[in-house]
Amino acid sequence: MNEWISSPLFGITLSILAYAAGVWIQKKLRSPIANPLLIAIVLVIAFLKLTGISLETYDKGGDFISMFLAPATACLALSIYRQLPVLKKNLIPVIVGTTVGSAASMGSVWLLCKAFGLTDEMTVSLLPKSVTTPIAMGVAEQHGGIVPITVAAVVLTGILGAIFAPLLIRIFRVKNPIAAGLAIGTCSHAVGTSKAIELGEVEGAMSGIAIGTAGLVTVLIATLI
Amino acid sequence: MKILLQIGIIFGVCFVGEGLAMLLPLPGSIISMILLFLLLLFRLLKPDHIAEKSDFLLKNMAFFFIPAGVAIMESAGILFENLIPFLVICVATMVITFAVTAFTVRLTVSLQNRIANRKGGKHHE
Repeated sequence: MNEWISSPLFGITLSILAYAAGVWIQKKLRSPIANPLLIAIVLVIAFLKLTGISLETYDKGGDFISMFLAPATACLALSIYRQLPVLKKNLIPVIVGTTVGSAASMGSVWLLCKAFGLTDEMTVSLLPKSVTTPIAMGVAEQHGGIVPITVAAVVLTGILGAIFAPLLIRIFRVKNPIAAGLAIGTCSHAVGTSKAIELGEVEGAMSGIAIGTAGLVTVLIATLI
Repeated sequence: MKILLQIGIIFGVCFVGEGLAMLLPLPGSIISMILLFLLLLFRLLKPDHIAEKSDFLLKNMAFFFIPAGVAIMESAGILFENLIPFLVICVATMVITFAVTAFTVRLTVSLQNRIANRKGGKHHE
């Protein structure tokens, strides 16, 4: 039994089933709270807890899946390349906006972590929370953070961004679709971008670009500090 | 064979990226992203060379994070100890980042327009 479960195929199959369930639930509920990644993580953890199977056993397959993270991140290059005409036309607002926004994100996280008296390890884990998961994981890992905490913060921030983007646009009276798209992408990466695409084509493209540029700026700031 | 070749190209770029990561203070995945972008920009690669495999990875991006998220099982203690600060920080900094970015872009665009108008005005004189 143990030998059977410790095949990498177990972790891979369980993850795909859990993710398929997450996508199905999202289609049924049509709510950004029903995030497929969040649902899949909860389902896998629940399954492991109920069956008493260890994280180590699951990770035999999990490691296989994680191996695809670097290629998946690299492929963001293609999505930025596809937005090249929009990017060239709005180069200065994109660079200035995402740079100042990312600096504000990291600065406010740092200040709040100090205010709450969190450990350095925890602070480093939360610093890259506004950028897309693979970049945030890379930054946290490199600077000695707790990667799962980073993943939790990134996913939560993305979901919050997707839920509250329309409300924030109204509160801060953002009338320019370029500003709205860049703000969504800078504060809530790919999950927020899914909402930006619903708001409009310019919002979607700008938000998509901001995933890449905010990610790069965050890596640079983290490296410099 | 087409898909196999695309996998080969992307994995090859990432392998080079991992190598460069040993020399540069950047995560390997980011170096690979920059490398791939430069290859596309200088037309050494065409989007067609990697499109199917890339779209497969991009469209299913969230799936590949499941194991990283499941690993929270081991850090659950730290998360629950810091749950209130964790939630406050996630909400507050999301709103701050949104507002600062939106205001900065608005300011930059209006400055750009003003400069363009001035130039345009001179042009007409």
